[in-house]
Amino acid sequence: MADKLLKREDLGKLIGSVVGGGGVFVAPTIDARQVVFKPVTKAEEIVTDYIVARNSYKEYVFPQTEVVADYTIGKDGVDLRSRKVEPKETVIFGARPCEASSLSALRAVFTWDFIDEFYTKREDKTTVISVGCTKADEACFCTTVALSPETKTGSDIYLLETESGDYLAEAVTDKGRAFIKKHASVFGAAGGEKAKKLFIPEKIKGIDPGKVAEKLSDKGHYEDPVWAELTRKCIGCGACTFVCPTCHCFDITDEGTAFEGERRKNWDACQFDTFTLHASGHNPRDLQYKRWRNRFNCKFSFYPNKFSSKGCVGCGRCIRVCPVRLDITEVMEELSK
Amino acid sequence: MENTLRQKAKELLASGEVKVVIGWGWNRTRTRTTPVFITKSEETDRLVWNPLCVNNLSVYLTRKFKDVQALGKPAIVARGCDIKNIVVLISEGQVKRENVYIIGMVCNGVVYRQELWEGELKPEIMPTKCHNCDVRNPHLTDSVIGGKSSFVPPEAPAGMVFDKIKAIDARDASGKWSFWINEFSRCVKCYACRQVCSLCYCERCITEKNMPQWIETSAHPRGNLSWNLTRAMHLVGRCTFCGECERACPVNIPLNLVNQKMILVVKDAFDYRSGYDEKVHPPMIVFNPEDKENFIK
Repeated sequence: MADKLLKREDLGKLIGSVVGGGGVFVAPTIDARQVVFKPVTKAEEIVTDYIVARNSYKEYVFPQTEVVADYTIGKDGVDLRSRKVEPKETVIFGARPCEASSLSALRAVFTWDFIDEFYTKREDKTTVISVGCTKADEACFCTTVALSPETKTGSDIYLLETESGDYLAEAVTDKGRAFIKKHASVFGAAGGEKAKKLFIPEKIKGIDPGKVAEKLSDKGHYEDPVWAELTRKCIGCGACTFVCPTCHCFDITDEGTAFEGERRKNWDACQFDTFTLHASGHNPRDLQYKRWRNRFNCKFSFYPNKFSSKGCVGCGRCIRVCPVRLDITEVMEELSK
Repeated sequence: MENTLRQKAKELLASGEVKVVIGWGWNRTRTRTTPVFITKSEETDRLVWNPLCVNNLSVYLTRKFKDVQALGKPAIVARGCDIKNIVVLISEGQVKRENVYIIGMVCNGVVYRQELWEGELKPEIMPTKCHNCDVRNPHLTDSVIGGKSSFVPPEAPAGMVFDKIKAIDARDASGKWSFWINEFSRCVKCYACRQVCSLCYCERCITEKNMPQWIETSAHPRGNLSWNLTRAMHLVGRCTFCGECERACPVNIPLNLVNQKMILVVKDAFDYRSGYDEKVHPPMIVFNPEDKENFIK
């Protein structure tokens, strides 16, 4: 229940108290002519009129590049020293309810057979404050994947904008409750403020996620010529995977001089042709449509089946950034037939 | 024009002269265009022609697209600016002239990015390349669709890109450095710039060569700088200013500035402009005994 009120004029105070306490306050702001999630230090930097940020906030729990170890190569062998991750308290403000569902998908992978502390420690220190959407664009398809601007799962605190530009706040998790308690001076009691109407995008007609899943569970679909027909135009860049809030693949690379350096964990993309290239020269996904088919399966079959988590949250980022406008919903539609 | 294009495509496919027509089509909601590959003569009505046709489809002629090549001889729907890239591909031995049928489109300009479209092609939503276009009547074709364009480009190239280049040129070295370090800092190493580029046709890009790792793949300032500068250098004297890399960049790095600056330098140093004559080789890949520089002899 939204029983708290966060006034717009108090946002600066909230940022000040998070940043002043050594934390990071990430919010939608303008950078290079587009809305992106970035650390802010002043309320004026925050954009409130936006649909979704261009980037996913995953980069604050799973950085694009990070040092995981240092190494020295000596006469007696290699000395490999792990880095300790000591993340700062991080607040993600202005997430959308669709993408809030993504962290559980990331956590499922990063705690599956090995606890990846570089991820878990960051996520433990992260509070997600989402704001219900009052508008959408044609790339939004949350309702088609069974989410909506009303979805609270994944958010620690769920906000609704009021008619006067303030926020009605509801703590969803213990972390959210603790955050509101800690910042009690800015979260006052709500008293009948009216929330703006949420914009609920219509489900895309002709898409049946159940049918998509059913089709994917039958391995026979692999040789369906429809994959090549629909995705031949894919140019094999990593834009879709890098903006995707649930894509999580990374590559380990050593950087340095001949005898010492850093071991880094960098985002990788299944759409790159080297992603599955074997040392022998063989590549099991030798053509682009096979790489695209894999990504689609990852979203709608492999990960939902393995972890019962959302592989796709319907935020539409991949559609917006694709240089050839390869629309994932058009493929979903085809597989719903 | 759209009907004539569809008719032409239908004839080409029906006669078997080509096996696939690479063109633009609508997305589901008919709000954006997207590349289409038409292989059946009864499907040519999917082809569209309008100011939203922004993709330079010549990338699909490169060896990066083995499955497109496997379809058989292509016809490509191309504007003059796209044909410039095909010209470079031919001059660099990547495409044989007789192996591609070029359907040249007489063009009045397109939008810079499709999301800017509000139903009308206004000068302010057109890229700099369109304002200075000297190939609105396509220059290397097998057939031309559309009446003759009478557009005459300005004598001195003008527009946003040229204004910004002038502003950067006016800075001192450290000013230039800080401008580019800041711009490249946003790079996420998605390689959309490379993938969308028809002149980045290497099957193994230098950034993927890791014994040794010539270019650090990490998206940190050093890695980003080496990637963007290396790609720029590999396009010197070849880039035609089609603008695809900047359009594709998800983080808005102004790559058109880099590319146009190189074009100006090459014009100045070698009196060469790429993309006009398929029989002439780009200056950086030829050796000429008459070269005016002594060090090369």
